[in-house]
Amino acid sequence: MKNTTAWILWVVLTGLFSVTFLWPIGQIVKQGFFDAEGHLTLKYMIGVFENPIYVEGLINSVKIAIGTTILVCLIGVPLAWLANRYDFAGKSLFQAVLLVPMILPPFVGAIGFTQMFGQYGAVNSLLGLSVDWIGSGQYLGVIVLQALGLYPILYLNVAAALANIDPAMEQAAENLGCTGLTKFRRITLPLIMPGLFAGGTIVFIWAFTELGTPLIMQYNRCTPVQVFDALKDIGKDPFPYALVFVMLVASVLLYAVGKLIFGRNSYAMQSKAATASSVVRAEGWRAWGIPLVFAAICFVALLPHLGVVLTSFSPAGSWYQTVIPTELTFHHYSEALGHDMTVSSIGNSLLFASLSVFLNLLIGVSVAFVVVRSRVPLRGMLDAMAMLPLAVPGIVMAFGYLSISTWAANLPAVKENEWLKSLFDVRTNPTLFLVVAYAVRRLPYMVRSAVAGLQQTSVTLEEASANLGASGLTTVRRITLPLILANLIAGAMLAFAFSMLEVSDSLMLAQRADYFPITKTIYELFQMIGTGKYLASALGVWAMVFLATTILGASLILGRKMGAIFRV
Amino acid sequence: MGALTIHFHPMIPVRLEHVTKKFGSQIALDDVSLTIQAGEVFFLLGPSGCGKSTLLRLIAGLHQPTSGRIYFGDRDVTSIGTEHRNAVMCFQSYALWPHMDARQNIRFGLEIRKIDRTEADRRVEQVIQLVQLGPFAHKKPNEMSGGQQQRVALARALVVKPDCLLLDEPLSNLDAKLRLEMRTEIRRICRASGLTAIYVTHDQKEALSIADRMAVLNFGKIEQIGRPQELYLKPRNRFVAHFMGETNFIDGIVRGMKDSLIEVQTSVGNILAGYCPEPIQSGDRVVVSVRPETIRFGPAPSHSSLNAFAASVHDTIYLGEMAQHVVSLGTGPSLELKAFELNPKRVARDGAVEQTTIRIDPEDVVVLKN
Repeated sequence: MKNTTAWILWVVLTGLFSVTFLWPIGQIVKQGFFDAEGHLTLKYMIGVFENPIYVEGLINSVKIAIGTTILVCLIGVPLAWLANRYDFAGKSLFQAVLLVPMILPPFVGAIGFTQMFGQYGAVNSLLGLSVDWIGSGQYLGVIVLQALGLYPILYLNVAAALANIDPAMEQAAENLGCTGLTKFRRITLPLIMPGLFAGGTIVFIWAFTELGTPLIMQYNRCTPVQVFDALKDIGKDPFPYALVFVMLVASVLLYAVGKLIFGRNSYAMQSKAATASSVVRAEGWRAWGIPLVFAAICFVALLPHLGVVLTSFSPAGSWYQTVIPTELTFHHYSEALGHDMTVSSIGNSLLFASLSVFLNLLIGVSVAFVVVRSRVPLRGMLDAMAMLPLAVPGIVMAFGYLSISTWAANLPAVKENEWLKSLFDVRTNPTLFLVVAYAVRRLPYMVRSAVAGLQQTSVTLEEASANLGASGLTTVRRITLPLILANLIAGAMLAFAFSMLEVSDSLMLAQRADYFPITKTIYELFQMIGTGKYLASALGVWAMVFLATTILGASLILGRKMGAIFRV
Repeated sequence: MGALTIHFHPMIPVRLEHVTKKFGSQIALDDVSLTIQAGEVFFLLGPSGCGKSTLLRLIAGLHQPTSGRIYFGDRDVTSIGTEHRNAVMCFQSYALWPHMDARQNIRFGLEIRKIDRTEADRRVEQVIQLVQLGPFAHKKPNEMSGGQQQRVALARALVVKPDCLLLDEPLSNLDAKLRLEMRTEIRRICRASGLTAIYVTHDQKEALSIADRMAVLNFGKIEQIGRPQELYLKPRNRFVAHFMGETNFIDGIVRGMKDSLIEVQTSVGNILAGYCPEPIQSGDRVVVSVRPETIRFGPAPSHSSLNAFAASVHDTIYLGEMAQHVVSLGTGPSLELKAFELNPKRVARDGAVEQTTIRIDPEDVVVLKN
């Protein structure tokens, strides 16, 4: 890549990034640290820590994050290890199904979860108990639900780390007399630590800042829900900004610490594995035991969503104190699809997600080109910047965008011009902000998959094209893009899936019913008295089927390389 | 060297009886029987895919044989896991653990064996000295050069005083110069430790220069076992002759015996040969193997005209210490031979064909059944 082109791209990308990512964060910092007269002040910050309700919220959020991360490790590490070590019946199917919960947002599952684990729900009916699982432990409910949605991220990271280990590393330990748990503790675990930590960090930040699940589970004493509730006062009350800032700092610190401790993604193995991989065919009790474990986890992980499916088919009141609904009906589907809000929300989500994926592709590929194929000195910084959205909670970004929109809407020029108003004022039309928000949040996945694609594609292939007289653009179009197409498609599909069911930005930025995306509609329907829960479920099922198809497609296209996208 | 000599008490022979290893339907090793003497440096040599690494991994206990038994001394270890065999392997990729520095890597086996601290310290320092790792002992594997990593891998294996040391192409990841250096090092270390060592390679020079004895494998079978000179000078068949070094094969038919030499009729005349690994009789179709370095130039001394042929030098590759000539014999459809000349004087200019005489000592000629 020519140096000048690279520089121009670098400047444009950095500029774009500053406006769409740094500016919103700057807004939060500004609102949290400056009073109405523009003087620097710490009083809001101190105020947050003096308010026992906020402090309790923060403590609860940390507790959720810790609990979720531990649960996720307990599920993800053994699964990854088993998949790495053994061949067993149905392995590839299980590996694909295992990933499905990742894109079904836990907050949709929460609707089914309450049906399953409520005092009069399926589980109690099955076991003949009347334990109030959720009421007595909303905390438990929240972390279980989140863990069931987030374990695939850790699973993918650990699986990739395990696959990266030269089998000779472990054979050498065995050969010196070290086996079993000692071998795992002294050799395997340290070697996968970077992957484990990378995955764990994302899970922790995600759980720490997740809004949807506690909202539906009505676990209100945690920071994200408090911030969401404070939305009504935005513009007047600076405390939510301070609260969001605390979240931001905690997340970024955690991310930075992870990066510092494990500066590199993984230990570079000294050489390519010289011995064939050590996958063995599961025999004896393992032959059925391992598939059973996978099946059990898949079943439990999909249980909440199964609950959603059943809810969507059950006539109101027919699923009460029974294992499954006593009757089935398609009524909710026809009603849901007949509902104004529903139909437009599907269209809205498709539009927002498509536009944001397009933006993502454009930016992601450009970043990858500068990072991999140019010698611009500051390209590393661009790479790091593009990964930063992983460290910044969605709710923080949403808050930042909201405050920019509020600011823009108050500009005289915007106030008077209808077109500008529909562009910049989310109360009129949130399209621009939602598209940008979706795109920025999912940019890291796109960049990672594009970078991976370029790194796997030898630069000599491009040089050969140039050597035969092709121009730079022709080479990109005819040689490079076709070669990295699989990566791009997979990355785009993931970005699309995530955007379709994005929660924080959707709930906060979409404020007019005719611009609601699916997630906000599900939330609003859920709030409705009467059949709301059933309509929400019907819409949720529609979205889940759509997304499950998408992610299965992506994992088929990308195969084993799936993990590469989620590694930070 | 005295101070650096480490005495390893256990010196055990390794014995394989009718060992067969299949991977699915593919036969990697086919009924291999072999005894490796205590304290011997034994080489497994062969082209890639011949089963030599599989054989080594069977001895290490990293694979289980499909059939057959493996003995360390009198102990049947066939069903014993690698962790209880004390047959320690130096992996081709070194397999140094990247999260530990050199010393930690070396110490690991001692920790697993619960050797007490002071003894472990002493042995680690001793082995670090033996492999001359001194200044690098605190470095992580990725901060070390290939040669240093190789030394750490060797030290890690040696420090646990293995019953036998297994080396899997230990030099294949090093550049040519370092390979020569480490070859000498490994020979020194093996001799100094007096271990039973089994060494896998595809490089016959490595084997010739270090081995006490060696086995040449092909397609999962042992072609020949013996000392380096035996295999080089008295190959049992065409494969071994070819694999041990460059040679010229000339087709012919046995004509009979002449003064305890075998007379073989070829297209360029009769050749007398001193050795044949198996009984033959007149009329047998054979090949004659003549190594290029045994061909001499110039007219025969007057008293002997055995194996002297008129020849012309066609082409020469000049390599400094030696020249590789292509010479052709006879008139009709000519036979081309490779001939090496040390300290070369005759360097043919382009197109200039030099007429000369070549001689081959019958002792250097081997007759092999076709």
